[in-house]
Amino acid sequence: MSSRIEILNDGGYRSDGRKQYELRDITIDLTQQGTADGSAQLTHGLTQVLVTVFGPREAKMRSQTLHDRAVLNVEMSVAPFSTGERRKRSRADRRILEMAAMIASTFEPVVQTNLYPRSQIDIYVHVLQQDGSLLPACINATTLALVTAGVPLLDFVCAVTGGVHSTSPLLDLTTLEENDVPHMTVAVMPRTRKVTLVTMETRLHVERFRELFELACEAGQTIHREMKYAVKDRTVALVNAMDAGSKGGAADDHDRDVVMDDRI
Amino acid sequence: MAVALVSKSERDYIKTSLQTASPLRADGRSLLDFRTVLLETGVAPLANGSARLNIGKVAREGGGGTDVLAAVKLEVEDVESGDGVDGGRVACSVTCSPSAYSHLSSNALDELQHDLTVILQQTIAHRSLHPSNLTIIPGRKAWLLNIDAVVLADSGNVVDALFMAARAALWDTKVPRTRPVEYRAPESSRATEKETQDSMDVDQGTSGFDTRDMARDAADFELPDYWDEGEVLHGRERWPICVTLNLLPPIHLLDATLTEEASIPLRLHLMFSFPPSTPPILQAIRLSGPGELDLAYVKSCITDGEKYARELFSALESKLREEDLRRNTKARDRFSSLR
Repeated sequence: MSSRIEILNDGGYRSDGRKQYELRDITIDLTQQGTADGSAQLTHGLTQVLVTVFGPREAKMRSQTLHDRAVLNVEMSVAPFSTGERRKRSRADRRILEMAAMIASTFEPVVQTNLYPRSQIDIYVHVLQQDGSLLPACINATTLALVTAGVPLLDFVCAVTGGVHSTSPLLDLTTLEENDVPHMTVAVMPRTRKVTLVTMETRLHVERFRELFELACEAGQTIHREMKYAVKDRTVALVNAMDAGSKGGAADDHDRDVVMDDRI
Repeated sequence: MAVALVSKSERDYIKTSLQTASPLRADGRSLLDFRTVLLETGVAPLANGSARLNIGKVAREGGGGTDVLAAVKLEVEDVESGDGVDGGRVACSVTCSPSAYSHLSSNALDELQHDLTVILQQTIAHRSLHPSNLTIIPGRKAWLLNIDAVVLADSGNVVDALFMAARAALWDTKVPRTRPVEYRAPESSRATEKETQDSMDVDQGTSGFDTRDMARDAADFELPDYWDEGEVLHGRERWPICVTLNLLPPIHLLDATLTEEASIPLRLHLMFSFPPSTPPILQAIRLSGPGELDLAYVKSCITDGEKYARELFSALESKLREEDLRRNTKARDRFSSLR
């Protein structure tokens, strides 16, 4: 495999035309999905995930609740058409359960679960397309969905993958690169500068680790900026809508939507 | 499908308002009105055809509605050794997101998924609708057409949404062009084959590329490099659509919301196919929910259903042709104007 694809060419470009530290395009859609309390659809390059959040609410199974804090319940489903080769994974697939557990443990120290004893926060992750950096996309989308749901968080969680090709570090890997180079996923809390997740399934030389780790932490800050803009935009739109509603209603019988349209 | 939490009195309230002389629905529609249907094709780049469909999205706030994503993926199957069928086969699966049915347990969700899969599979995979261009090499290789639908949100009328999304995804599907290839061993190697069988000396002078096994008129195929992604499925005009009549004799209503579905448990699903220049065909029919019906009433329902299905079909058809235009001609024009 590795002999056929040039991960990093002499000009310093990767197979999809990016530079070493360049991230792919991130598109964030925070519109409401169905009846969910919060949702976020994040497109990161060709990876696309949709996360919906319900709660905090009463748990379906009372026995699973904790007396002093809320339980994070992460369920993940991967669309069969999301990969190049069709593969239907059941909900009990080991790989999926593992990913879900990783997402849950990433968010446990960040969500202020102690505010909601005996309740449950459901996080449903749908993978619609995958092209590398799946776990970071899921984590970033989950952060945004929790924010839109109004769940109190200590900080954002921003994740990114990093890999090393011979001695040169790369950021935000595609499937092609993930198959080829040792890589790890890092999730950081950008404001407090804490790390909530570091995971690696391949072997990496210990001397390369430090450089890559620091780079990934820095990239987390960049992603944070992107996520912050998206949240800010939505909040501004909501605040404007609230303003328009109260003023428009008092003045005369305008259709609320029309007034809202004027203000934005 | 999913029983929303509706109290007895609310159920009664909805029923009574529907049965008055001028029937009332909570969102102001008449009994036969559909909510807004939004459709986009080509949403999954890794699939051979895909569509996302939404019924009843709230206009400006952007939320709500039944949301279905359907994608078609083609796989090569071996007819002789694998579980392929000569002429290709069609397989459907429906996945329901737990976020669409957050009140259901995972077992109940599995049952619902299975139920919807069966409805889709029995109708769409029927021989009468089978596309004729799923064969790659007759008797050897054929395409397996997988339709995977994901219900992302449910606010009523999920079966109609599923069929519309499946139809749109199938309409969008392109079957890659294939060219059959045959390996013919040169005469000399055939001669050596005979010899080796006799002498059991396998290492005797054949070339490095050993085609002795394939010499028994083996055939394979290749994918020629061509400018488009392939040809559309044959008979794509025939894929059926479904109308669900929610029955509250003597009236019936279309496109029920969740609360309406919860108050009117009796439903008649009618799947119609409208092949061009022939009379419509009733592909499947399914009655769900408790209760009994007059035969004459069912007949009148089918006649009415055909009328509604025809309207829905022509609306969907014009949208699909528009999408075809957007994705092919317009995209090409835009690209050439950029250059």
